Amino acid sequence: MTLLAIEQMVAGYGEIDIVTGIDIAVHEKEIVTVAGTNGAGKSTLAKAIMGLVPRCRGVLRFCGEDLLAMRPEDRIKVGVAYVPQVENVFPSLTIVENLQVVVGVQNHAARIAEMLDLFPALAARRRVRAEALSGGERQQLAFARALMTQPKMMLLDEPTAALSPNLVAQVFDTIRKLPAIGVAALVIEQRARQSLEISDRGYVLDSGKAVMSGAARDLLADARMADLYLGGA
Amino acid sequence: MLSYLVAIAIIGGIYSLLTLGLNLHYGFTGLINFGHVGFFALGAYASALLTLAGLPFAAGFAAAMLIAALVALPLGLLAIRLRDDYLAIVTLGFSEIIRIVITSEEWLTGGVQGLPGIPRPFGGLGVGGAEYAYLGLVVALNGLAFLLVHRLAASPFGRLIKAVRDNEVALVSLGKDPVGVKIRVFMIGAGLAGLAGALYAHYITYLSPEQVIPLVTFYVWMAMIIGGTGRNAGVVLGAGILVLILEGSRFVRDLFPGVLDTEMASIRLAIIGLCLVLFVLFRPRGLIGDGVER
Amino acid sequence: MNAALFFNLLLNGVIEGLIIGLAALALNLVFAVARFPNTATGDIMTVGAYAGIAVQGLGISSTVLQMLAAVVVCMALCVVLYRLVFRRLQGRSMLAVLLASIGLAFIIRAAVFLIAGPEQRVFQIPLQRAIDIGGVALQPSMLWLAVTAFGCMAVVFAVLFLTPIGRRMRAVADNRALARTSGIDVDRVMVALWLLTGAVCGVAGMVLGINTVVMPENGWNILLPAFAAAVLGGVGSPVGAIVAGLALGIVQELSTPFVGFTYKIALSFVALIVILAIRPRGLFGAAVKVR
Ligand SMILES: Nc1ncnc2c1ncn2[C@@H]1O[C@H](COP(=O)(O)OP(=O)(O)OP(=O)(O)O)[C@@H](O)[C@H]1O
Ligand SMILES: [Mg+2]
Repeated sequence: MTLLAIEQMVAGYGEIDIVTGIDIAVHEKEIVTVAGTNGAGKSTLAKAIMGLVPRCRGVLRFCGEDLLAMRPEDRIKVGVAYVPQVENVFPSLTIVENLQVVVGVQNHAARIAEMLDLFPALAARRRVRAEALSGGERQQLAFARALMTQPKMMLLDEPTAALSPNLVAQVFDTIRKLPAIGVAALVIEQRARQSLEISDRGYVLDSGKAVMSGAARDLLADARMADLYLGGA
Repeated sequence: MLSYLVAIAIIGGIYSLLTLGLNLHYGFTGLINFGHVGFFALGAYASALLTLAGLPFAAGFAAAMLIAALVALPLGLLAIRLRDDYLAIVTLGFSEIIRIVITSEEWLTGGVQGLPGIPRPFGGLGVGGAEYAYLGLVVALNGLAFLLVHRLAASPFGRLIKAVRDNEVALVSLGKDPVGVKIRVFMIGAGLAGLAGALYAHYITYLSPEQVIPLVTFYVWMAMIIGGTGRNAGVVLGAGILVLILEGSRFVRDLFPGVLDTEMASIRLAIIGLCLVLFVLFRPRGLIGDGVER
Repeated sequence: MNAALFFNLLLNGVIEGLIIGLAALALNLVFAVARFPNTATGDIMTVGAYAGIAVQGLGISSTVLQMLAAVVVCMALCVVLYRLVFRRLQGRSMLAVLLASIGLAFIIRAAVFLIAGPEQRVFQIPLQRAIDIGGVALQPSMLWLAVTAFGCMAVVFAVLFLTPIGRRMRAVADNRALARTSGIDVDRVMVALWLLTGAVCGVAGMVLGINTVVMPENGWNILLPAFAAAVLGGVGSPVGAIVAGLALGIVQELSTPFVGFTYKIALSFVALIVILAIRPRGLFGAAVKVR
């Protein structure tokens, strides 16, 4: 079943369009990578999906429901969760509060316990404010916060940026396991090769348009792709 | 009736000078000055006291500008390091301190009793003639001030000002000194307010702390917003409409003779407040702007 | 200065400091969550005091009921201001919101003048004998004012740190966009914020009115010291607001014998300017967060 359906999306700030006509689909329990150079409009695409850009038109549906007609705070209720590229936790709230504050969770206490099981590093520091966490811990908290609502799809904006290499592997490992718990992922990544290796399909963005798309395997094998976006072999 | 129009024009001209100064601050450099009335007060009392001590008017006017500009120097040095909101509060506090000093130092300023008998120029021209001459002076000084600001904007210095507003970082990388530019602009704008204060003092011939309350600052802000920030032509329009509102409330008084003085002041306060809110909500770029914020 | 005078001034300073602290708390709540300095805070307090006076005018002498009326009226006023003006200005520049709040302050003060007149009013507090502690006259009413102020602060902290809506307020203060994508209805949080702010303003206005007299300019006069306290304590920090408010109140009172009554008002401002000259971001840094 198709979860996310984007057709001819145009989005931007002020007078300029940053995303200039994109088609993307994400199916159930699928991992999809969106790659692209700096400033290609990847984060803008993510914000548009979540309703955080001033202008956005085209088709944007999730599980058949029109996201464009919904306020940002209502979009997570249909099953999409978002981990922004930066500032993805509430710094002055403790770890537990970061999880408690999420709206639309059936049994908060039970779900928080599950999350702390899933990310043991957080369990040890549950009363610590998020601003005091390390980069890796913060990223785990951001994942846990997003998973609170038991989403059908996670929208991850460069989850490995600014992390040390061993932490990068850990994050990709977490993403790889998402389909097993029934969660699809739309992963925006500059580390395209690594991301495609755990993905089913991929898209490559350039100047607000998808210039390439296909099965992850094919993209990894594509010579042009390797030249332009994978940074050689 | 004609003499009434002349009086309105003089007051309008004084507000236009004040607005020009504020526009220089905000419209050109983005400095939020909520204490404009402080410079106005300094100029007014300086010129009044000096001429009462027997000095010529020219000396009073010059001192008014100079003192206001000099006080603006340390304030400006502090201001440019502050965030917008702190700056607004600090400048507001500055003008309140000026008012408190004026209220307290009775030996100098007359305190709440006020400072009466401030000399008026052009006494030799008779009552009507003096009014017209004063209007001429106000208009001439406005003209000079506009010319100054216009020349400033067109000069290399003015281009620097605009560059400061648009992109401070790029300017620093070019080795220019945006801080110095901002300070000088702040001082010039304060000097204009000081001059307006002197013109006010010698026209009304009486000063009291009641005349330099923060409300005056926001009269000027309103005039600037009505005219559109950063536009000098808008300054005259804004000051004109402001004076119409302030004076127009007097006609309300004629229509309803039962209204008391204090009530009148409150009605004026409410009108100014309402204008501020409505303009910010619906016409942030002024009366002739297109309603979209810059 | 002898010891008795010193302690009397100190006591007055504490009460005044609590009033400044409450006003600064109201400022900082709005600053932390809605991100602008609300210059109408003082005049909202004034409305609260007059609501109390109005209840007294009905023949109800219970201070508790008067306080309740003040709180309810201020809460309602704050929500109306939010719905009519501040909500429409979301996303606009700080200056735009700042100017709008100044305009609202003027409108409110003018309305108070027109409805209640310029005369001073007083709360008729039943006279109780002052408790004399070694020459220091402690009025029981003062004690009650202090208890009320502390109680109000305790309630604010309880709401902020112990309730779900308080947690949401802190989340919105931290990061509005992230709060929205976490499903938090920002509009509802803002209404709650303005209700809380209104309650603080109501209590602050009553405490101020009972401690001195009720005048239309009361609130505006407390605004500048409150701003000073807010900046000194760290804009957006509720704890800082109260600590700095207390400090300013005490310093102001203790300095009265030396600088006279008029200059004591200027003092908090001079302190503010000196501190900002040394530390442009405030005493405790720029904590634009609810801490
Ligand atoms: N809030 C904004 N207002 C105006 N323009 C913006 C805003 N945010 C981003 N842009 C512009 O949109 C373009 C695309 O930005 P975006 O953040 O979507 O890129 P990106 O692909 O995520 O890049 P990166 O890999 O660096 O994260 C950039 O040119 C940027 O300057
Ligand atoms: Mg990005």
